[in-house]
Amino acid sequence: MFILKNAFISITRNKGRNILMGIIILIIACACTVTLAIKNTASDLITSYEEAYDKTATISFNRENMMKNFDMGKEDSRSLAKENFENMASYTVDDVTKYADSKYVSSYYYTYSVGLNGNNIDKANMDNDKDFGNRKGNPLKNYDFTLTGYDKLEAMNEFISGTYTMSEVADNAWDIAFDGNYVFINEELANYNDLSLTDKIKLEDDDDNVYEFEIIGIFKEKEDNEVSMFSSSANNIITNAQAVSTITSKNEDVEGSINPTFIIKSYDDAEKFQEELYGKGLDENFIIQTNEDQVAESLASVSNVNSFATTFLIITLIIGGVVLLVINMINIRERKYEIGVLRTIGISKLKLTLQFVSELLMVSLVFLIIGCLIGSFSAKGISNSLLASEINSSNNNQEEISRNFGGNMDKNPNFGHMKRGIPVVQAYDSIDAVVDMKVLLEMFGIGISLVLVSSVSSMISIQRFSPLTILKERS
Amino acid sequence: MKNKKTEENILLSVVNASYRYSDADSDDYALKDVSFVFEAGKLYAIKGRSGSGKTTLLSLISGLARCTEGSIIFNGKDLKNINLDRYRNSDIGIVFQSYNLLPFMTTLENIILSMDVNGGKFKNKKEKALELMEKVGLKKDYANRKVLRLSGGEQQRVAIARSLSYNPQMIIADEPTGNLDKQTETEILNIFKDLAHKENKCVIIVTHSNNVCNMVDKVYELKSQTKKK
Repeated sequence: MFILKNAFISITRNKGRNILMGIIILIIACACTVTLAIKNTASDLITSYEEAYDKTATISFNRENMMKNFDMGKEDSRSLAKENFENMASYTVDDVTKYADSKYVSSYYYTYSVGLNGNNIDKANMDNDKDFGNRKGNPLKNYDFTLTGYDKLEAMNEFISGTYTMSEVADNAWDIAFDGNYVFINEELANYNDLSLTDKIKLEDDDDNVYEFEIIGIFKEKEDNEVSMFSSSANNIITNAQAVSTITSKNEDVEGSINPTFIIKSYDDAEKFQEELYGKGLDENFIIQTNEDQVAESLASVSNVNSFATTFLIITLIIGGVVLLVINMINIRERKYEIGVLRTIGISKLKLTLQFVSELLMVSLVFLIIGCLIGSFSAKGISNSLLASEINSSNNNQEEISRNFGGNMDKNPNFGHMKRGIPVVQAYDSIDAVVDMKVLLEMFGIGISLVLVSSVSSMISIQRFSPLTILKERS
Repeated sequence: MKNKKTEENILLSVVNASYRYSDADSDDYALKDVSFVFEAGKLYAIKGRSGSGKTTLLSLISGLARCTEGSIIFNGKDLKNINLDRYRNSDIGIVFQSYNLLPFMTTLENIILSMDVNGGKFKNKKEKALELMEKVGLKKDYANRKVLRLSGGEQQRVAIARSLSYNPQMIIADEPTGNLDKQTETEILNIFKDLAHKENKCVIIVTHSNNVCNMVDKVYELKSQTKKK
């Protein structure tokens, strides 16, 4: 108890030095609070972004593997590659369903494409652009159109990303789009064939089987191809996977190309998932690719803020720590006589050290609290600005997706599942979430630790002081 | 019979004590082969010229340093084997020529601090401190005065009161009257005399003053080759 009393007496008699030390601690506390608040907010945003963003895995060609033994100059090599390509085991809708039945996968969607020719419409093409109908059956064979079926709304990435936007859409389009022979066609194709909503188009396969579809939407591609008269998607006709499946089942010669997307639980599982798929029969010329890099790229700005805050925090702590260290050493040198007297009257080194530490902690606590209050007030503005920017960006993103689908998509029940890439930043619109208990505990932990670490050398000095020597010097 | 009684009264024995600083040559002793005994109820003076090792001996007796050779026995225990902090804050009281009070504290705070360090359960520290002040001839008005505002003699009285605060068995004083005038010197020495004769304490004064030597019960003289007077 007397240690605390002595500590308090020492603090009040050395006001100048303690205020100077307090100011430094206050600056450190302010900087810590602000940077920790920013850092934690940024981390929360990153976490929520990653949680909101689906972790996707797709099946891609392992080009590296395919080209390993390929030599452009040798005819044999080219023939071998072609042969390998043609013999490569593909996968069916059933395979995809089987692949998706994995502990690493939470859900999946896919697109199913076939190549067909026009029956009552002409292909929008003025030159010799080639259109690959399918990958497996005959990749070099030309078809007028590519009919791409989506199994779910989530699969329509071109609309989510804004590559395609609806220019005209039937009122009930999204109610019927995934069940029946309905299609969305490119605006250029519509203009070329003078087509409009509710018109029927006919497509045919190599065996002259004719398939009729009703137009329920007209879309356009975001950036027109300046080289070609028509955009690359001019002859892409969009329907549902079921419609494509009906065609392939009706005529086995029509072979489709399936592009599945698996929503995986963790990026760390990607390799294990790939091994599992090889075990389930996936050709080893395919590999699993995730969108991890894409997500990291999207988070670059927030991550930069996070890194900046961390760097700033470390620099502040280093400079603050060194200054505190120097002040503590001066403090001990100035109080050598006091230490000598106290040691002479029998106070132990441990109790003396405790007294000095108590003094430091008392001063630190007061100024840490003041610094924390100032810091949290400052952090409010900075963090809110960061949040406001994120919320704004998120809202714009969401509105853009809605526009891509022709507007009014908020009414669609499936739209809620499509917030891929959109952080749920509204969860952090309160300042309490920024300077919260975690930040306070971290700040006090760092502050107290820094004060204690910076006092270590002076504490060691106390242990080494001989009272006799000190008092002799005094005499 | 008399010898037996004397042995029982011995409080502190210095037995062939030598001290050499760690950075000194092997034969360069600050104090060499000293043997003294100190009894309770007596006032002692340790006399010697400058450099004779008076202060070194005081440091060894007061537990501020340890003998490099020989030993110091207090109440039958070798100081090498006991906690010297505890020894200093309960068994002995030390009074210095330069007082060694804490200047930022008041008279009362300086005296109470010693009681605090001792850790004993004193019923009313403030009352006891005031009693001690009265005992050493300090006015009660000085209780809340910063010690720096007191005269040399008054500060030395505070130092004596501080050393008595936890009722030690032995008082060790290093030139306690070196900075004081004759009259004050006599007053201070009378306090020490009373402590020895009336309160049965062992009081050891390190001095080079003949006046002090004339007032004590026994004088030990330290020379270059220490010998007992």
